Amino acid sequence: MDAQRAELCALEAEVAVLRRACDELPVPWSETSRIQKLFQEIHPSDSAGGESSEDLRSRVGRLESELAFLNTVTGISIRNYSKQTEDLTSTEVTEKNIKKVVQKYRLSGNCHMVTFQLEFQILEIQDNESLSSVITDLNIIMEPTEYPELSEFICRAEERRDLFLFFRSLHFFVEWYEYRERTFKHFKEKYPDTVRLPEGACSRCMSICSASRPGFELVIVWRIQIDEEGKVSPKLDLLTQVPQRALKLDKSRVVETAPLSFRSLLRVLGIEAALESLIRLLCAENH
Amino acid sequence: MLMTRTHLLRFSFFCRMGVLAHLERLEAQVTESRTKSAERQRARAEGRALGARIQKLRRLRDELRAEVQWRRASVKASTASVQPDQTAGMSEQDVLERRWEHAKAMLQAYRFTGLSGRLTSHGVCVRISTAFEEHLLESYFVDLVIQKPLRILRHSVPVFIPLEKMAAQHLQSDIRHFLFSLCEHLNAYAGRKFQADRLQGDFAAFLTGPLRRNALCSLLSFTYRVDSGAQSVTFSARLLYEDLTVTLPTRVTVACEGTEALSCSWEHQRASHETLFSTKPLHQVFASFARKGEKLDMSLIS
Repeated sequence: MDAQRAELCALEAEVAVLRRACDELPVPWSETSRIQKLFQEIHPSDSAGGESSEDLRSRVGRLESELAFLNTVTGISIRNYSKQTEDLTSTEVTEKNIKKVVQKYRLSGNCHMVTFQLEFQILEIQDNESLSSVITDLNIIMEPTEYPELSEFICRAEERRDLFLFFRSLHFFVEWYEYRERTFKHFKEKYPDTVRLPEGACSRCMSICSASRPGFELVIVWRIQIDEEGKVSPKLDLLTQVPQRALKLDKSRVVETAPLSFRSLLRVLGIEAALESLIRLLCAENH
Repeated sequence: MLMTRTHLLRFSFFCRMGVLAHLERLEAQVTESRTKSAERQRARAEGRALGARIQKLRRLRDELRAEVQWRRASVKASTASVQPDQTAGMSEQDVLERRWEHAKAMLQAYRFTGLSGRLTSHGVCVRISTAFEEHLLESYFVDLVIQKPLRILRHSVPVFIPLEKMAAQHLQSDIRHFLFSLCEHLNAYAGRKFQADRLQGDFAAFLTGPLRRNALCSLLSFTYRVDSGAQSVTFSARLLYEDLTVTLPTRVTVACEGTEALSCSWEHQRASHETLFSTKPLHQVFASFARKGEKLDMSLIS
Protein backbone atom coordinates (compact mmCIF):
# COMPACT_ATOMS: atom_id res chain seq x y z
CA MET A 1 0.00 0.00 0.00
CA ASP A 2 2.80 2.38 0.87
CA ALA A 3 4.60 1.58 -2.37
CA GLN A 4 1.41 2.30 -4.27
CA ARG A 5 0.88 5.58 -2.46
CA ALA A 6 4.45 6.58 -3.21
CA GLU A 7 3.96 5.81 -6.89
CA LEU A 8 0.73 7.78 -6.88
CA CYS A 9 2.49 10.83 -5.49
CA ALA A 10 5.30 10.55 -8.01
CA LEU A 11 2.83 10.22 -10.91
CA GLU A 12 0.79 13.20 -9.79
CA ALA A 13 3.92 15.31 -9.59
CA GLU A 14 5.07 14.21 -13.05
CA VAL A 15 1.67 14.91 -14.60
CA ALA A 16 1.71 18.42 -13.12
CA VAL A 17 5.14 19.12 -14.63
CA LEU A 18 4.09 17.79 -18.06
CA ARG A 19 0.92 19.88 -18.01
CA ARG A 20 2.97 23.04 -17.40
CA ALA A 21 5.37 22.12 -20.23
CA CYS A 22 2.43 21.51 -22.57
CA ASP A 23 0.91 24.87 -21.77
CA GLU A 24 4.17 26.63 -22.60
CA LEU A 25 4.48 25.07 -26.06
CA PRO A 26 2.30 26.28 -28.94
CA VAL A 27 -0.23 23.91 -30.45
CA PRO A 28 1.07 22.74 -33.83
CA TRP A 29 -1.14 23.50 -36.78
CA SER A 30 -3.02 20.58 -38.20
CA GLU A 31 -3.02 20.31 -41.97
CA THR A 32 -6.48 21.83 -42.16
CA SER A 33 -5.82 24.80 -39.91
CA ARG A 34 -2.53 25.49 -41.73
CA ILE A 35 -4.41 25.62 -45.01
CA GLN A 36 -6.99 27.92 -43.45
CA LYS A 37 -4.28 30.23 -42.16
CA LEU A 38 -2.56 30.27 -45.56
CA PHE A 39 -5.83 31.12 -47.19
CA GLN A 40 -6.54 33.97 -44.78
CA GLU A 41 -3.25 35.62 -45.73
CA ILE A 42 -4.29 35.95 -49.35
CA HIS A 43 -6.11 39.01 -50.57
CA PRO A 44 -8.63 37.51 -52.97
CA SER A 45 -8.86 39.21 -56.34
CA ASP A 46 -12.01 41.17 -57.08
CA SER A 47 -12.86 39.29 -60.23
CA ALA A 48 -11.25 37.34 -63.04
CA GLY A 49 -11.07 40.48 -65.15
CA GLY A 50 -9.26 42.44 -62.50
CA GLU A 51 -5.88 40.91 -63.21
CA SER A 52 -4.57 43.75 -65.29
CA SER A 53 -5.18 46.24 -62.53
CA GLU A 54 -3.39 44.13 -59.93
CA ASP A 55 0.18 44.99 -59.47
CA LEU A 56 2.94 42.42 -59.87
CA ARG A 57 3.50 42.07 -56.17
CA SER A 58 0.02 40.87 -55.32
CA ARG A 59 -0.04 38.53 -58.31
CA VAL A 60 3.23 36.99 -57.22
CA GLY A 61 1.89 36.69 -53.71
CA ARG A 62 -1.18 34.86 -54.91
CA LEU A 63 0.81 32.41 -57.05
CA GLU A 64 3.18 31.68 -54.21
CA SER A 65 0.26 31.04 -51.89
CA GLU A 66 -1.15 28.61 -54.41
CA LEU A 67 2.21 26.87 -54.45
CA ALA A 68 2.35 26.74 -50.67
CA PHE A 69 -1.13 25.27 -50.63
CA LEU A 70 -0.24 22.58 -53.17
CA ASN A 71 2.91 21.81 -51.23
CA THR A 72 0.91 21.31 -48.04
CA VAL A 73 -1.86 19.32 -49.65
CA THR A 74 0.22 16.95 -51.77
CA GLY A 75 3.20 16.70 -49.44
CA ILE A 76 5.30 17.10 -52.59
CA SER A 77 7.73 19.97 -52.97
CA ILE A 78 9.00 20.75 -56.48
CA ARG A 79 12.34 22.49 -56.77
CA ASN A 80 13.19 22.49 -60.44
CA TYR A 81 11.17 22.23 -63.59
CA SER A 82 12.07 22.69 -67.21
CA LYS A 83 10.21 22.11 -70.46
CA GLN A 84 11.35 21.78 -74.02
CA THR A 85 8.96 21.58 -76.94
CA GLU A 86 9.68 19.91 -80.24
CA ASP A 87 7.20 20.18 -83.06
CA LEU A 88 7.05 16.95 -85.02
CA THR A 89 4.31 18.07 -87.37
CA SER A 90 5.49 17.34 -90.88
CA THR A 91 3.92 18.97 -93.95
CA GLU A 92 1.95 15.93 -95.04
CA VAL A 93 0.58 15.46 -91.59
CA THR A 94 -0.51 19.12 -91.52
CA GLU A 95 -2.68 18.55 -94.58
CA LYS A 96 -4.69 15.99 -92.70
CA ASN A 97 -5.04 18.48 -89.85
CA ILE A 98 -2.99 16.47 -87.43
CA LYS A 99 -0.54 18.15 -85.12
CA LYS A 100 2.21 16.20 -83.40
CA VAL A 101 4.27 17.73 -80.64
CA VAL A 102 6.81 16.21 -78.29
CA GLN A 103 7.34 17.89 -74.93
CA LYS A 104 10.41 17.04 -72.89
CA TYR A 105 10.31 17.68 -69.19
CA ARG A 106 12.72 17.67 -66.28
CA LEU A 107 11.33 17.74 -62.78
CA SER A 108 13.02 17.42 -59.41
CA GLY A 109 11.91 17.79 -55.84
CA ASN A 110 11.04 15.77 -52.81
CA CYS A 111 8.14 14.14 -51.05
CA HIS A 112 9.05 14.57 -47.39
CA MET A 113 12.30 12.68 -46.95
CA VAL A 114 12.39 11.09 -50.43
CA THR A 115 14.18 13.10 -53.13
CA PHE A 116 13.43 12.41 -56.78
CA GLN A 117 14.49 13.50 -60.24
CA LEU A 118 12.33 12.82 -63.25
CA GLU A 119 12.88 13.10 -66.98
CA PHE A 120 9.99 12.31 -69.25
CA GLN A 121 8.60 12.92 -72.71
CA ILE A 122 4.99 13.43 -73.70
CA LEU A 123 3.76 13.00 -77.24
CA GLU A 124 0.67 15.07 -78.02
CA ILE A 125 -1.33 14.25 -81.10
CA GLN A 126 -4.10 16.60 -82.04
CA ASP A 127 -6.50 15.77 -84.83
CA ASN A 128 -9.95 17.03 -85.74
CA GLU A 129 -11.68 15.01 -83.08
CA SER A 130 -9.47 14.83 -80.06
CA LEU A 131 -6.20 15.47 -78.34
CA SER A 132 -4.30 12.49 -77.03
CA SER A 133 -1.32 12.70 -74.71
CA VAL A 134 0.94 9.75 -74.22
CA ILE A 135 4.08 9.48 -72.10
CA THR A 136 6.67 8.06 -74.44
CA ASP A 137 9.60 7.94 -72.06
CA LEU A 138 10.00 8.04 -68.29
CA ASN A 139 13.20 8.06 -66.26
CA ILE A 140 13.04 8.11 -62.49
CA ILE A 141 16.36 8.89 -60.88
CA MET A 142 16.67 8.12 -57.20
CA GLU A 143 19.44 7.05 -54.92
CA PRO A 144 19.01 3.23 -55.01
CA THR A 145 20.51 2.57 -51.61
CA GLU A 146 18.50 5.16 -49.72
CA TYR A 147 15.11 3.48 -49.92
CA PRO A 148 15.66 -0.11 -51.13
CA GLU A 149 12.01 -0.93 -50.56
CA LEU A 150 11.18 1.46 -53.40
CA SER A 151 13.56 0.21 -56.08
CA GLU A 152 11.39 -2.59 -57.53
CA PHE A 153 8.40 -0.27 -57.69
CA ILE A 154 10.43 2.41 -59.48
CA CYS A 155 11.47 -0.06 -62.19
CA ARG A 156 7.87 -1.05 -62.74
CA ALA A 157 6.68 2.56 -62.89
CA GLU A 158 9.35 3.34 -65.49
CA GLU A 159 8.36 0.28 -67.57
CA ARG A 160 4.71 1.23 -67.51
CA ARG A 161 5.52 4.93 -67.92
CA ASP A 162 2.89 5.63 -65.28
CA LEU A 163 3.90 9.01 -63.88
CA PHE A 164 0.82 9.62 -61.73
CA LEU A 165 1.06 6.16 -60.18
CA PHE A 166 4.65 6.98 -59.20
CA PHE A 167 3.51 10.05 -57.26
CA ARG A 168 0.48 8.36 -55.73
CA SER A 169 2.34 5.31 -54.46
CA LEU A 170 5.24 7.50 -53.34
CA HIS A 171 2.83 9.46 -51.16
CA PHE A 172 1.38 6.34 -49.53
CA PHE A 173 4.87 4.85 -49.11
CA VAL A 174 6.01 7.99 -47.28
CA GLU A 175 2.93 7.85 -45.04
CA TRP A 176 3.69 4.28 -44.02
CA TYR A 177 7.42 4.99 -43.67
CA GLU A 178 6.81 7.86 -41.28
CA TYR A 179 4.24 5.84 -39.32
CA ARG A 180 6.75 3.01 -38.90
CA GLU A 181 9.41 5.48 -37.75
CA ARG A 182 7.02 7.11 -35.24
CA THR A 183 5.81 3.79 -33.87
CA PHE A 184 9.28 2.33 -33.34
CA LYS A 185 10.46 5.59 -31.79
CA HIS A 186 7.48 5.58 -29.43
CA PHE A 187 8.28 2.09 -28.19
CA LYS A 188 11.98 2.81 -27.90
CA GLU A 189 11.19 5.76 -25.66
CA LYS A 190 8.58 3.99 -23.61
CA TYR A 191 10.72 0.91 -22.94
CA PRO A 192 14.30 2.10 -23.33
CA ASP A 193 15.87 -0.94 -21.68
CA THR A 194 13.91 -3.59 -23.49
CA VAL A 195 13.57 -2.25 -27.03
CA ARG A 196 16.45 -1.78 -29.47
CA LEU A 197 16.43 -0.36 -33.00
CA PRO A 198 19.35 -2.13 -34.71
CA GLU A 199 19.34 0.04 -37.82
CA GLY A 200 18.94 3.35 -36.07
CA ALA A 201 16.09 5.83 -36.29
CA CYS A 202 14.75 4.63 -39.65
CA SER A 203 15.09 0.99 -38.72
CA ARG A 204 13.06 -1.64 -40.47
CA CYS A 205 13.19 -3.90 -37.46
CA MET A 206 12.76 -3.64 -33.71
CA SER A 207 14.29 -6.09 -31.26
CA ILE A 208 12.93 -6.87 -27.84
CA CYS A 209 15.10 -8.44 -25.18
CA SER A 210 14.90 -8.62 -21.44
CA ALA A 211 17.85 -8.23 -19.09
CA SER A 212 16.34 -10.78 -16.75
CA ARG A 213 16.08 -13.35 -19.54
CA PRO A 214 19.33 -13.17 -21.47
CA GLY A 215 19.48 -15.22 -24.62
CA PHE A 216 15.84 -14.57 -25.50
CA GLU A 217 15.21 -12.08 -28.24
CA LEU A 218 12.16 -11.22 -30.28
CA VAL A 219 12.75 -9.36 -33.53
CA ILE A 220 9.91 -7.72 -35.40
CA VAL A 221 10.61 -7.06 -39.06
CA TRP A 222 8.33 -4.44 -40.61
CA ARG A 223 8.56 -4.20 -44.38
CA ILE A 224 6.64 -1.81 -46.58
CA GLN A 225 5.52 -3.52 -49.77
CA ILE A 226 4.32 -2.02 -53.03
CA ASP A 227 2.44 -4.55 -55.14
CA GLU A 228 2.02 -4.88 -58.91
CA GLU A 229 -0.81 -2.36 -58.94
CA GLY A 230 1.12 0.19 -56.88
CA LYS A 231 -0.78 -0.44 -53.66
CA VAL A 232 1.28 0.11 -50.53
CA SER A 233 0.85 -2.12 -47.49
CA PRO A 234 2.82 -3.10 -44.38
CA LYS A 235 4.12 -6.62 -43.84
CA LEU A 236 5.23 -7.55 -40.33
CA ASP A 237 7.02 -10.74 -39.30
CA LEU A 238 8.27 -12.07 -35.99
CA LEU A 239 11.64 -13.75 -35.59
CA THR A 240 12.54 -15.47 -32.35
CA GLN A 241 15.87 -16.21 -30.78
CA VAL A 242 15.65 -18.71 -27.95
CA PRO A 243 18.44 -20.56 -26.10
CA GLN A 244 18.75 -24.27 -26.88
CA ARG A 245 17.88 -25.31 -23.36
CA ALA A 246 14.60 -23.45 -23.49
CA LEU A 247 13.76 -24.92 -26.89
CA LYS A 248 14.19 -28.42 -25.48
CA LEU A 249 11.67 -27.60 -22.74
CA ASP A 250 9.20 -26.18 -25.23
CA LYS A 251 6.99 -29.22 -25.57
CA SER A 252 3.97 -27.41 -26.98
CA ARG A 253 6.12 -25.83 -29.72
CA VAL A 254 5.16 -22.31 -28.75
CA VAL A 255 8.36 -20.91 -30.24
CA GLU A 256 7.84 -22.68 -33.57
CA THR A 257 4.32 -21.40 -33.96
CA ALA A 258 5.15 -17.90 -32.68
CA PRO A 259 5.45 -16.28 -36.15
CA LEU A 260 2.01 -17.54 -37.16
CA SER A 261 0.49 -16.54 -33.84
CA PHE A 262 1.99 -13.09 -34.33
CA ARG A 263 0.16 -12.72 -37.64
CA SER A 264 -3.13 -13.55 -35.93
CA LEU A 265 -2.32 -11.14 -33.12
CA LEU A 266 -1.77 -8.38 -35.69
CA ARG A 267 -5.12 -9.07 -37.30
CA VAL A 268 -6.94 -8.92 -34.00
CA LEU A 269 -5.18 -6.09 -32.18
CA GLY A 270 -3.65 -4.00 -34.93
CA ILE A 271 0.03 -3.07 -35.18
CA GLU A 272 0.58 -0.89 -32.12
CA ALA A 273 -1.34 -3.02 -29.61
CA ALA A 274 0.27 -6.22 -30.91
CA LEU A 275 3.78 -4.78 -30.53
CA GLU A 276 2.97 -3.43 -27.08
CA SER A 277 1.69 -6.79 -25.90
CA LEU A 278 4.86 -8.53 -27.14
CA ILE A 279 7.05 -6.05 -25.29
CA ARG A 280 5.01 -6.42 -22.12
CA LEU A 281 5.42 -10.18 -22.40
CA LEU A 282 9.19 -10.02 -22.23
CA CYS A 283 9.60 -7.21 -19.77
CA ALA A 284 6.91 -8.34 -17.33
CA GLU A 285 9.52 -9.06 -14.74
CA ASN A 286 11.21 -5.69 -15.03
CA HIS A 287 8.27 -3.86 -13.53
CA MET B 1 -29.12 -38.23 44.14
CA LEU B 2 -30.44 -35.79 46.44
CA MET B 3 -30.47 -32.96 44.02
CA THR B 4 -32.33 -30.44 45.86
CA ARG B 5 -34.26 -27.92 44.05
CA THR B 6 -31.69 -25.26 44.77
CA HIS B 7 -29.00 -27.57 43.51
CA LEU B 8 -30.92 -28.13 40.38
CA LEU B 9 -31.53 -24.44 40.01
CA ARG B 10 -27.90 -23.66 40.66
CA PHE B 11 -26.79 -26.43 38.34
CA SER B 12 -29.04 -25.25 35.56
CA PHE B 13 -27.99 -21.68 36.28
CA PHE B 14 -24.34 -22.60 35.96
CA CYS B 15 -25.18 -24.66 32.91
CA ARG B 16 -27.01 -21.79 31.42
CA MET B 17 -24.14 -19.55 32.39
CA GLY B 18 -21.76 -21.83 30.59
CA VAL B 19 -23.95 -22.00 27.52
CA LEU B 20 -24.59 -18.31 27.63
CA ALA B 21 -20.94 -17.61 28.06
CA HIS B 22 -20.20 -19.94 25.21
CA LEU B 23 -22.86 -18.28 23.13
CA GLU B 24 -21.46 -14.90 24.05
CA ARG B 25 -18.01 -16.03 23.12
CA LEU B 26 -19.27 -17.34 19.83
CA GLU B 27 -21.11 -14.12 19.15
CA ALA B 28 -18.02 -12.10 19.97
CA GLN B 29 -16.01 -14.28 17.62
CA VAL B 30 -18.46 -13.81 14.79
CA THR B 31 -18.60 -10.05 15.27
CA GLU B 32 -14.83 -9.91 15.40
CA SER B 33 -14.42 -11.91 12.25
CA ARG B 34 -17.12 -9.86 10.55
CA THR B 35 -15.34 -6.65 11.42
CA LYS B 36 -12.03 -8.13 10.38
CA SER B 37 -13.40 -9.28 7.04
CA ALA B 38 -15.11 -5.94 6.54
CA GLU B 39 -11.80 -4.26 7.25
CA ARG B 40 -10.04 -6.58 4.83
CA GLN B 41 -12.65 -5.86 2.19
CA ARG B 42 -12.23 -2.15 2.74
CA ALA B 43 -8.49 -2.49 2.47
CA ARG B 44 -8.83 -4.51 -0.74
CA ALA B 45 -11.26 -2.02 -2.24
CA GLU B 46 -8.93 0.80 -1.28
CA GLY B 47 -6.06 -1.07 -2.86
CA ARG B 48 -8.05 -1.60 -6.07
CA ALA B 49 -9.07 2.02 -6.20
CA LEU B 50 -5.47 3.06 -5.72
CA GLY B 51 -4.40 0.64 -8.44
CA ALA B 52 -7.00 1.97 -10.84
CA ARG B 53 -6.01 5.54 -10.10
CA ILE B 54 -2.38 4.67 -10.70
CA GLN B 55 -3.23 3.10 -14.06
CA LYS B 56 -5.19 6.17 -15.05
CA LEU B 57 -2.39 8.49 -14.09
CA ARG B 58 0.16 6.36 -15.94
CA ARG B 59 -1.92 6.62 -19.11
CA LEU B 60 -2.35 10.35 -18.65
CA ARG B 61 1.36 10.78 -18.10
CA ASP B 62 2.16 8.81 -21.30
CA GLU B 63 -0.27 10.89 -23.31
CA LEU B 64 1.11 14.14 -21.98
CA ARG B 65 4.66 13.02 -22.71
CA ALA B 66 3.70 12.23 -26.31
CA GLU B 67 1.93 15.59 -26.66
CA VAL B 68 4.89 17.54 -25.34
CA GLN B 69 7.25 15.71 -27.69
CA TRP B 70 5.01 16.32 -30.68
CA ARG B 71 4.70 20.01 -29.91
CA ARG B 72 8.46 20.37 -29.44
CA ALA B 73 9.12 18.58 -32.76
CA SER B 74 6.60 20.76 -34.60
CA VAL B 75 8.18 23.94 -33.25
CA LYS B 76 11.56 22.72 -34.51
CA ALA B 77 10.14 21.85 -37.93
CA SER B 78 8.42 25.17 -38.48
CA THR B 79 11.44 27.27 -37.51
CA ALA B 80 13.62 25.21 -39.86
CA SER B 81 11.60 26.10 -42.95
CA VAL B 82 12.65 29.75 -43.09
CA GLN B 83 14.90 30.19 -46.12
CA PRO B 84 17.74 32.66 -46.56
CA ASP B 85 17.51 35.53 -49.01
CA GLN B 86 19.18 34.73 -52.34
CA THR B 87 18.36 37.86 -54.24
CA ALA B 88 20.80 40.42 -52.87
CA GLY B 89 21.87 42.92 -55.50
CA MET B 90 18.80 42.76 -57.76
CA SER B 91 16.23 45.46 -58.22
CA GLU B 92 12.88 44.85 -56.61
CA GLN B 93 11.13 44.64 -59.98
CA ASP B 94 13.61 42.01 -61.18
CA VAL B 95 13.21 40.03 -58.02
CA LEU B 96 9.44 40.09 -58.34
CA GLU B 97 9.55 39.05 -61.98
CA ARG B 98 11.91 36.22 -61.18
CA ARG B 99 9.60 35.00 -58.44
CA TRP B 100 6.64 35.30 -60.82
CA GLU B 101 8.30 33.19 -63.51
CA HIS B 102 9.44 30.63 -61.00
CA ALA B 103 6.02 30.32 -59.34
CA LYS B 104 4.28 29.97 -62.71
CA ALA B 105 6.67 27.21 -63.75
CA MET B 106 6.29 25.34 -60.46
CA LEU B 107 2.50 25.47 -60.72
CA GLN B 108 2.69 23.95 -64.18
CA ALA B 109 4.96 21.26 -62.79
CA TYR B 110 2.41 20.24 -60.19
CA ARG B 111 0.03 19.10 -62.95
CA PHE B 112 2.34 16.12 -63.44
CA THR B 113 1.91 14.90 -59.89
CA GLY B 114 -1.74 14.21 -60.63
CA LEU B 115 -2.91 16.78 -58.11
CA SER B 116 -2.94 20.48 -58.84
CA GLY B 117 -5.22 23.39 -58.13
CA ARG B 118 -5.82 27.07 -58.09
CA LEU B 119 -7.09 29.44 -55.46
CA THR B 120 -10.60 30.80 -55.67
CA SER B 121 -12.35 33.57 -53.78
CA HIS B 122 -13.80 31.10 -51.31
CA GLY B 123 -11.11 28.47 -51.15
CA VAL B 124 -9.40 26.25 -53.63
CA CYS B 125 -10.34 24.26 -56.69
CA VAL B 126 -8.37 21.02 -56.76
CA ARG B 127 -7.80 19.33 -60.09
CA ILE B 128 -7.24 15.57 -60.15
CA SER B 129 -5.67 14.22 -63.34
CA THR B 130 -5.98 10.59 -64.31
CA ALA B 131 -3.88 8.28 -66.41
CA PHE B 132 -3.63 4.62 -67.26
CA GLU B 133 -0.03 3.53 -67.74
CA GLU B 134 1.33 5.90 -70.38
CA HIS B 135 -2.01 7.31 -71.50
CA LEU B 136 -3.05 10.60 -69.95
CA LEU B 137 -6.79 10.65 -69.49
CA GLU B 138 -9.52 12.96 -68.23
CA SER B 139 -9.36 15.38 -65.27
CA TYR B 140 -11.86 15.97 -62.50
CA PHE B 141 -12.21 18.89 -60.17
CA VAL B 142 -13.33 19.37 -56.56
CA ASP B 143 -14.14 22.91 -55.47
CA LEU B 144 -13.48 23.30 -51.74
CA VAL B 145 -14.69 26.07 -49.48
CA ILE B 146 -12.05 26.82 -46.89
CA GLN B 147 -13.98 27.47 -43.73
CA LYS B 148 -14.46 25.64 -40.48
CA PRO B 149 -15.62 23.01 -41.40
CA LEU B 150 -14.19 22.41 -44.87
CA ARG B 151 -16.86 21.58 -47.39
CA ILE B 152 -17.24 20.70 -51.04
CA LEU B 153 -19.03 23.36 -53.04
CA ARG B 154 -18.98 21.75 -56.49
CA HIS B 155 -17.32 18.83 -58.15
CA SER B 156 -17.20 16.88 -61.40
CA VAL B 157 -16.70 13.50 -59.79
CA PRO B 158 -19.07 10.84 -61.22
CA VAL B 159 -21.91 9.92 -58.92
CA PHE B 160 -20.87 6.27 -58.55
CA ILE B 161 -17.55 7.21 -56.92
CA PRO B 162 -18.10 7.23 -53.11
CA LEU B 163 -17.12 10.89 -52.71
CA GLU B 164 -19.44 11.69 -49.78
CA LYS B 165 -18.23 8.65 -47.86
CA MET B 166 -14.58 9.58 -48.34
CA ALA B 167 -15.28 13.20 -47.41
CA ALA B 168 -17.14 12.15 -44.24
CA GLN B 169 -14.22 9.96 -43.20
CA HIS B 170 -11.21 12.11 -44.06
CA LEU B 171 -11.94 15.63 -45.27
CA GLN B 172 -11.94 17.36 -41.90
CA SER B 173 -9.16 15.41 -40.25
CA ASP B 174 -6.69 14.74 -43.05
CA ILE B 175 -7.27 16.61 -46.30
CA ARG B 176 -4.21 15.03 -47.90
CA HIS B 177 -5.49 11.51 -47.28
CA PHE B 178 -8.90 12.51 -48.64
CA LEU B 179 -7.42 13.85 -51.88
CA PHE B 180 -5.07 10.93 -52.46
CA SER B 181 -7.85 8.39 -51.78
CA LEU B 182 -10.03 10.21 -54.26
CA CYS B 183 -7.09 10.18 -56.67
CA GLU B 184 -6.80 6.40 -56.30
CA HIS B 185 -10.49 5.82 -56.97
CA LEU B 186 -10.66 8.17 -59.95
CA ASN B 187 -7.49 6.81 -61.55
CA ALA B 188 -8.67 3.22 -61.11
CA TYR B 189 -12.08 4.08 -62.63
CA ALA B 190 -10.43 5.89 -65.55
CA GLY B 191 -8.12 2.91 -66.09
CA ARG B 192 -10.95 0.38 -66.12
CA LYS B 193 -12.99 2.55 -68.45
CA PHE B 194 -9.99 2.95 -70.77
CA GLN B 195 -9.51 -0.83 -71.01
CA ALA B 196 -13.20 -1.45 -71.71
CA ASP B 197 -13.29 1.33 -74.34
CA ARG B 198 -10.20 -0.05 -76.07
CA LEU B 199 -11.71 -3.55 -76.14
CA GLN B 200 -14.90 -2.23 -77.73
CA GLY B 201 -13.03 0.02 -80.13
CA ASP B 202 -9.89 -1.79 -81.27
CA PHE B 203 -10.83 -5.45 -80.80
CA ALA B 204 -14.51 -5.49 -81.74
CA ALA B 205 -13.70 -8.17 -84.34
CA PHE B 206 -13.14 -10.69 -81.56
CA LEU B 207 -16.42 -9.98 -79.77
CA THR B 208 -19.45 -12.00 -80.74
CA GLY B 209 -21.88 -9.86 -78.81
CA PRO B 210 -22.07 -6.48 -77.07
CA LEU B 211 -19.72 -5.69 -74.20
CA ARG B 212 -21.90 -5.37 -71.11
CA ARG B 213 -20.61 -3.06 -68.41
CA ASN B 214 -21.83 -1.01 -65.47
CA ALA B 215 -21.16 2.69 -65.11
CA LEU B 216 -18.35 2.14 -62.64
CA CYS B 217 -16.75 -0.38 -65.06
CA SER B 218 -16.40 -2.76 -62.14
CA LEU B 219 -18.33 -5.56 -63.84
CA LEU B 220 -17.67 -6.53 -67.44
CA SER B 221 -19.19 -9.39 -69.34
CA PHE B 222 -18.63 -10.28 -72.98
CA THR B 223 -18.39 -13.19 -75.38
CA TYR B 224 -15.48 -13.64 -77.77
CA ARG B 225 -14.35 -16.07 -80.42
CA VAL B 226 -10.99 -17.78 -80.50
CA ASP B 227 -9.77 -19.49 -83.66
CA SER B 228 -7.18 -22.22 -83.71
CA GLY B 229 -6.62 -23.52 -87.19
CA ALA B 230 -9.94 -24.78 -88.50
CA GLN B 231 -11.58 -24.93 -85.10
CA SER B 232 -13.30 -22.03 -83.43
CA VAL B 233 -14.67 -21.80 -79.89
CA THR B 234 -16.76 -19.09 -78.30
CA PHE B 235 -15.91 -18.17 -74.75
CA SER B 236 -17.92 -16.06 -72.37
CA ALA B 237 -15.99 -14.02 -69.84
CA ARG B 238 -17.10 -12.27 -66.66
CA LEU B 239 -14.71 -9.87 -64.96
CA LEU B 240 -15.52 -8.58 -61.49
CA TYR B 241 -13.47 -5.72 -60.01
CA GLU B 242 -14.25 -5.82 -56.31
CA ASP B 243 -11.42 -3.52 -55.31
CA LEU B 244 -12.34 -0.09 -56.65
CA THR B 245 -8.82 1.23 -56.28
CA VAL B 246 -7.23 -1.11 -58.81
CA THR B 247 -7.48 -1.68 -62.54
CA LEU B 248 -7.23 -5.48 -62.61
CA PRO B 249 -10.20 -7.74 -61.82
CA THR B 250 -10.36 -9.68 -58.56
CA ARG B 251 -12.56 -12.46 -59.94
CA VAL B 252 -12.53 -13.84 -63.47
CA THR B 253 -14.64 -16.62 -64.90
CA VAL B 254 -14.20 -17.83 -68.45
CA ALA B 255 -16.67 -20.44 -69.65
CA CYS B 256 -17.29 -22.18 -72.91
CA GLU B 257 -20.44 -21.24 -74.79
CA GLY B 258 -22.32 -24.24 -75.97
CA THR B 259 -23.06 -27.53 -74.39
CA GLU B 260 -20.26 -29.77 -75.70
CA ALA B 261 -17.49 -30.57 -73.29
CA LEU B 262 -14.17 -28.98 -74.11
CA SER B 263 -11.29 -31.01 -75.41
CA CYS B 264 -8.12 -31.02 -73.37
CA SER B 265 -6.35 -28.34 -75.36
CA TRP B 266 -9.34 -25.99 -75.33
CA GLU B 267 -9.75 -26.51 -71.59
CA HIS B 268 -6.10 -25.56 -71.25
CA GLN B 269 -6.72 -22.40 -73.26
CA ARG B 270 -9.79 -21.54 -71.22
CA ALA B 271 -7.83 -21.79 -67.98
CA SER B 272 -4.95 -19.76 -69.38
CA HIS B 273 -7.38 -17.05 -70.50
CA GLU B 274 -8.68 -16.81 -66.94
CA THR B 275 -5.16 -16.23 -65.73
CA LEU B 276 -4.43 -13.71 -68.48
CA PHE B 277 -7.50 -11.61 -67.71
CA SER B 278 -6.58 -11.61 -64.00
CA THR B 279 -3.02 -10.46 -64.51
CA LYS B 280 -2.89 -8.26 -67.62
CA PRO B 281 -4.92 -5.25 -68.78
CA LEU B 282 -7.89 -6.31 -70.89
CA HIS B 283 -6.92 -4.66 -74.16
CA GLN B 284 -3.37 -6.02 -73.91
CA VAL B 285 -4.73 -9.56 -73.58
CA PHE B 286 -6.71 -9.12 -76.79
CA ALA B 287 -3.70 -7.55 -78.45
CA SER B 288 -1.78 -10.75 -77.67
CA PHE B 289 -4.68 -12.81 -79.14
CA ALA B 290 -4.41 -10.71 -82.29
CA ARG B 291 -0.67 -11.29 -82.50
CA LYS B 292 -1.09 -15.05 -82.03
CA GLY B 293 -3.70 -15.04 -84.77
CA GLU B 294 -1.26 -13.30 -87.10
CA LYS B 295 1.40 -15.87 -86.33
CA LEU B 296 -1.02 -18.70 -87.14
CA ASP B 297 -1.94 -17.07 -90.44
CA MET B 298 1.72 -16.82 -91.35
CA SER B 299 2.17 -20.54 -90.72
CA LEU B 300 -0.80 -21.36 -92.97
CA ILE B 301 0.67 -19.39 -95.85
CA SER B 302 4.09 -21.04 -95.69
